[in-house]
Amino acid sequence: MSRKKKKNKVEYKDVELNIMPFIDVFSMLNTFLLFTAVFLSVGILEVQIPFLSNTPPPDDPKESRIFQVNVDVSKEQVEIQTSYTRPPDQSQKFPFPNNGEGVKQMHQKLAEIRKQNADTDKATVFSEDDVSWESLSAVLDGVMLRIEGDPVFPAAKDAKNREKAELEAKVYLYPKIVMGSVMLR
Amino acid sequence: MASVGGSSKDGLTLNLNPMLDIFSILITFLLMSFSTDPVSHDVDAGIELPQSNTIVALDEVPTIVVTKTELRVNDNKVADIVAGDVPEKDRTQGAIYPVFDALQKLAEANKRVNKVKSDDPNAKGSTGALTMEMDKGHRFKLMKRIMLSAQQAEFVQFKLMVQKELN
Repeated sequence: MSRKKKKNKVEYKDVELNIMPFIDVFSMLNTFLLFTAVFLSVGILEVQIPFLSNTPPPDDPKESRIFQVNVDVSKEQVEIQTSYTRPPDQSQKFPFPNNGEGVKQMHQKLAEIRKQNADTDKATVFSEDDVSWESLSAVLDGVMLRIEGDPVFPAAKDAKNREKAELEAKVYLYPKIVMGSVMLR
Repeated sequence: MASVGGSSKDGLTLNLNPMLDIFSILITFLLMSFSTDPVSHDVDAGIELPQSNTIVALDEVPTIVVTKTELRVNDNKVADIVAGDVPEKDRTQGAIYPVFDALQKLAEANKRVNKVKSDDPNAKGSTGALTMEMDKGHRFKLMKRIMLSAQQAEFVQFKLMVQKELN
């Protein structure tokens, strides 16, 4: 028997890719993303204000000598003041101009101070009335937030939420900021 | 390709490739900038926030909004702002009475809610934190007045809204 070799002829036809569903999906995705897009990312700076209470604090500060850090903000300058609550107070002052470079220098000094007194995680900020919120927020940034190169300080020992405190230790230089000037006349 | 009209094979064809290119680029950009912040809040048109390096995202809509011309608590206007300060009639001992009044009601409500939420039946409910959105041009004097009013209503924690700097 003779076999006839049939050659399979491949016939190329014009194949058209239907891209309409693709365009539909893209359009829907585009619309959704444009509606939900947030072009301005908003963050927060957490601060406290002094609160007067009759209840004594758990560990009586009258007996202990605590290191304290204050930052005085005026239109022209930012001054770090360090002292102890009990004598000898060994107070020191470090003034810096209130501008971009001055705030950077202030941050470096604060990092140095924190390195020497790692247990003090609270800083009190006193601001003059005529300081703008823009200027004050720049100072708060410098006092609160860690920047690249700053050491990571251990989380507060008395923290209720250990996990949160450890996370905060990586973000903040001084996690507790008290706005000291907010006192009723 | 999609064809537009015409009976002959050489009729007009709409080239969709440039449109697809634009779509792809737009989608890539939008997906890259897609926000996963817990709260999405549109900053008031009359407010310019100061820039900050903070990485802490906004977690609740602001309670106090301070535009260039008015002061709002929970979207209700409580005082006007004239030349960067509240009018003298609204001030008491350095604080702002209408703000104190509005916040006191809020503090009571917050205390009740937090007391119910708390596991301890004897616990006193806390007032919680106040989120404040304020124009960067305002002076600390006005912020202090608001904070003093809040202090009198037993609020001691503040979340001050800032614009995150894009690195």
